[in-house]
Amino acid sequence: MVDYVIETRNLSKIYSKTSVVDSIDMHVEKGKIYGLLGKNGAGKTTTMCMLLNLTYPSDGEIYLFGKDPKRHPMEIYPKIGSIIETPGFYENLTAYENLKILAKMRGDFNPHRINSVLELVNLSDVKSKKFKDFSLGMKQRLGIAAAIMHNPELLILDEPINGLDPFGIKEIRELLKRLSHEFGITILISSHILSEIENIADVIGFMDSGVLIEEISKEDLLNRLDKFVEFEVSDIDLAIGILETLELKDKRDFTSSGGTIRLYSHLELRDKFNALFVKAGIDVKKVNLCEENLEEFFTRFVSNN
Amino acid sequence: MLTFIEMEFLKLKRSNIFMLSLFGAILPPLLMFIAVFAFDEGHTFDLLFKNVNMYMSALFAVMLFAIMISYLFGREYNEHTLKTMLTIPVSRGKFLLSKYVMFLVWIVILTVVTSLSTLAFGFIAGLDGFSLRLFIESFARLLLANVLLFMTFSPFVFISLLITNMVPAMVGGAGLALVNMLIYGQTWAPYVPWVCPYLIASGEIAQYSTSIAVSYGVILTTFAIGLAISYIYFTRTDVSL
Repeated sequence: MVDYVIETRNLSKIYSKTSVVDSIDMHVEKGKIYGLLGKNGAGKTTTMCMLLNLTYPSDGEIYLFGKDPKRHPMEIYPKIGSIIETPGFYENLTAYENLKILAKMRGDFNPHRINSVLELVNLSDVKSKKFKDFSLGMKQRLGIAAAIMHNPELLILDEPINGLDPFGIKEIRELLKRLSHEFGITILISSHILSEIENIADVIGFMDSGVLIEEISKEDLLNRLDKFVEFEVSDIDLAIGILETLELKDKRDFTSSGGTIRLYSHLELRDKFNALFVKAGIDVKKVNLCEENLEEFFTRFVSNN
Repeated sequence: MLTFIEMEFLKLKRSNIFMLSLFGAILPPLLMFIAVFAFDEGHTFDLLFKNVNMYMSALFAVMLFAIMISYLFGREYNEHTLKTMLTIPVSRGKFLLSKYVMFLVWIVILTVVTSLSTLAFGFIAGLDGFSLRLFIESFARLLLANVLLFMTFSPFVFISLLITNMVPAMVGGAGLALVNMLIYGQTWAPYVPWVCPYLIASGEIAQYSTSIAVSYGVILTTFAIGLAISYIYFTRTDVSL
């Protein structure tokens, strides 16, 4: 039996007759990085807020670590670290003081732990700087420090790389991978940046308009990415004519744009098509065997669903 | 609860509002000190304490407390820290209650500052008639008035949770102070929650035909209603991000 750290059943949220999250069944396995992918307004943040008891569900059930968090909040939530949107801290206090407040409230204040976690996110040099003087990237890093300070078993991170520079993104990505693979921390991470989710997640949940369309493992995703052959030709109309005489249909078997034809079926016959084009006097400037990237898959997937 | 209060104090570190409130607590004694010379207001400690207590608890504290409440209860919304605090996790009920306690502690601090600064200004002005008993009695009256006023401010907690911006609190506080001025001396003043504290603490309530129990009842009812609606609102609504 699969050990789910997060499981939801028919989880829904309705704001004044508008369904923001619509009956989602989410399954996050222990030790995995689950990427929640969707456009802005897809319902990712609301879903995470419901998991964290910041927003009350209109309907449905939530199970965290196999238990109902409403009944066992003090047992479950201390095992979770989170960032929801931009991290919120007291502006008049320093990074250290902000973390001290959280640790004291949690009842596990340890100055060494705060210093080591600040070092981990490269903020130890600015630990005495007031939060209001932090850059967006520094704020985000402090948010991550706060989320991992108490050694949580589950991290719920809503767009954690917002505002980070490419080096910061790489650092955080490596850190999250390490936390998951070395320490077995389960991570639910949301983003609208497809490449980020592709880089980090073991399982991807596709959300659109409040609906969790599908949960796909990375392996399944790779198998489902469409492959195609791209021909760059001198006479597109003639090339299309040749394909149509072979009973290949536009939009179904191939698409065309500018001087390029993308062939989605009969890929094994690409050398024969190439020979036919050449024989008809068409200059074939390029023939590439390509694979759909996540962005193209997501666009196709959402429009199909 | 002690940790909550300790953390509330830490949150006030380097806070402009806290420093301004301390200045606010000194302002009525300072103005009365000036009045001693400018308007020949009398040269006794007794009169100075009475005047400070009246202007503080019937007028200035009303404005000051409205601003303090807005800051104390609204800052978690304005600085987006509520989502961070509640996911620790912290019980929403306890969190709200700790804010109420912190508000009361803050008021007590201001009361001490007002009383001590009045004493200091009295000595600087060379007023007559000082006795320790007079000081303690005056402090006790101001403390009683401010604590009762604290209770009447619970509906403002609800408003601060609903509208987290400080501007409505400032306008509301100023408006309420004006209403207090208009109502003071009217026969039905003992029925108005924000006038009652001064009338009870100063003993002026005896000049009205209304029983003191009625005024206490008005204050307690206001407190209970404000506490209940702020608790229900805070524990049952989604946290705005």
